[in-house]
Amino acid sequence: MKSRIRTALAVIASTLLATAAYAEEARNFFKVGVVTELSGDLATGGNVTKRGYDLWAQEVNAKGGIDIKGKKYQVKLFYADAQSNPAAGASAAERLITQEKVDFILGPYSSGVTLAVAPITEKYKIPMITGSAESPLIWTNKFYYTFGTVPPVNFTGAAPIKTLSEMKPAPKTAVILGTNDTFSKATAEAFKAAAEAAKIKILKFNIVPAGQDLTPLLSAVRGMKPDLIAFGGHDEELIKLVKALRQINYTPKALLMHYGVTEPAFIQSLGKDAEQVLGASVWTAAVQTKGKILWPNAASYAVAAEKAFKTPADYTQAGSSAAGIAFQAALQKIGATPGMSEDQRKKLVKALEEIDVETFYGKIKFATSGQYYHANVGMTPLTIQIQNGKVVAVGPVKNQEAKPQYPMKEWKNR
Amino acid sequence: MELLPQALIDGILLGGIYITIAVAFSLTYGVMHVIDFAVGEWIMFGAFAGYYLNKLTGLDPFILLPAVFLIFALVGYLVQPVIHRVMSGNRGNPLLMGLVFTFALALMFQGVALTVFGFYTNSIPSTFSEGSILIEKLGLSMTIPTIRLAGLCYALGITAMLHYLLKKTTFGLGVRALAQHKDAAGLMGVNGKRTGAYVYAIYVGISAMTGVLIGCIFSVSAQMGAQYTIFAFFVVVLAGMGYLAGVPWAALLLGMVQSIFLIYFDPGHTLLAVFAILYTILLISPKGLFGRGV
Repeated sequence: MKSRIRTALAVIASTLLATAAYAEEARNFFKVGVVTELSGDLATGGNVTKRGYDLWAQEVNAKGGIDIKGKKYQVKLFYADAQSNPAAGASAAERLITQEKVDFILGPYSSGVTLAVAPITEKYKIPMITGSAESPLIWTNKFYYTFGTVPPVNFTGAAPIKTLSEMKPAPKTAVILGTNDTFSKATAEAFKAAAEAAKIKILKFNIVPAGQDLTPLLSAVRGMKPDLIAFGGHDEELIKLVKALRQINYTPKALLMHYGVTEPAFIQSLGKDAEQVLGASVWTAAVQTKGKILWPNAASYAVAAEKAFKTPADYTQAGSSAAGIAFQAALQKIGATPGMSEDQRKKLVKALEEIDVETFYGKIKFATSGQYYHANVGMTPLTIQIQNGKVVAVGPVKNQEAKPQYPMKEWKNR
Repeated sequence: MELLPQALIDGILLGGIYITIAVAFSLTYGVMHVIDFAVGEWIMFGAFAGYYLNKLTGLDPFILLPAVFLIFALVGYLVQPVIHRVMSGNRGNPLLMGLVFTFALALMFQGVALTVFGFYTNSIPSTFSEGSILIEKLGLSMTIPTIRLAGLCYALGITAMLHYLLKKTTFGLGVRALAQHKDAAGLMGVNGKRTGAYVYAIYVGISAMTGVLIGCIFSVSAQMGAQYTIFAFFVVVLAGMGYLAGVPWAALLLGMVQSIFLIYFDPGHTLLAVFAILYTILLISPKGLFGRGV
């Protein structure tokens, strides 16, 4: 009996192996690994990147695939959940590379997970582009195989402070807070540096643990009466901060945040309290861009995104779709076919370093040296503000969709 | 120094929130000896129930509290026999079984919530969340957010009600007997199974109502549960496992520590301070603040 079971198991195993080997040989599509936060604290942002990656794959496949020397290859996305945990992200990436044998990787939403995944892609020499992570730390590490379409926050974060310093009267004092994670901390630091450069006096600068109730701290801040409150954090924390300010009834002249403000959930859950909150971005549906690959401009991408997901696209989703486009452009350039060798992957990195392509998202050009190494520096940072339930660009002046509303309207008069 | 009254008030209000999270959790442990790791998830489900009921009916979440309690008490009543089954019979280490079971329940609930409710963060609007009471006298300036004041009243109300239930009713007598000695209570005619189910029902109902409150003060999302489980655990350990009367004091102490640390010291190390105090107290008195825990 035992030997019969053993034989049966052997037969099953060999059949499975044979099928796997067969699939490997006959592969006529690109296996794209995606490591992102599909569950856990950062699931909101993770799923926004998923929308961006999905939309890219859907559009590529609808057009028949990526055209490599006259032959079209479809793309298939293989997801691995990073669970909002850097260690889980690293092992997810390792699994995608060693077991799924993906050709390249579309990267995580958060900077923390990206920093954990990058050494893995480095080890196996697999190119990765993140369509979202914004911490400057990723780029100062100079990972050879890691790229990013969204510029680092020290590149974008200065824009809203500059817009504010052009207001009359400009804010004179600021309180800057950030949550203790890679991205949020970097955001708070970027705001601080920009505020100092703009001669705004910083009354308080604190990095606080995630999940912390900020009301007592804000009660203390209220006594300082700062003109500007700037906060680095993820979506849920931003909502809590606005609610806390609302509860203690303190309205600063300007309230500045970064990622999360552009997410539809921010406006939906806060309603009128979301109005006039400022943020930094590199893309809105109204930016003037001319795309050569897939979508001709920002507006057409916005329409496609709305149709696919019934919710407006933000810059992270757009950046994620653009990450796919960057790979597409580089693959076409070197004429790589699925099942790439190590040598071809190296060529892919070289090609990525050389691309300079106009897309619906804006210009994609990765820096090849300096503090922004492999980050996209082809973009113009924008100041955005929530006006009438919509995200609009209010600065710099030449990109303005509407004039900035300043100072903020008191909570109780809304 | 002018910030001290504000710090104290904020600490009390924050403590109020912790009371609501921990009080029923402590009761279940005292009676059923279940460390329910799904407490945060019951809070999360309650918050979503409040969110959707508010959307559907347009009523203020505080009016919806009794409805949420009834729905979730029923759910708790139906779930308890499963936990009872896992923890009874001829099984080694029932405490561990309960722990593992509720931990799995929590993970499952998180997955279900993420699939059903989506990944967005929401908020429950309430008339209370709009205002605050401003006191400016003797050169001091204090704000008391009405929603948090309402939360504190709710916490004290729930504690008083539980106290009455346990100390003044026959049902409460049975519950206390069960907590003291399961077998002896059974011999005296207390139906352990049914009483356990009632207690669990009350616990789930209260946790769900707390969820609605948290949804008003903070936010609602599928992944919100874990942090509240940790705080419930903190408070209950500090109060002494299963010692209900210690919960309000432990909760207020934690709230106060956080508030004072946030204002006077480095906000980056608030949680470290909380841990340090918890550790020190447990080192001196391993059975909690009052030495009355299990």
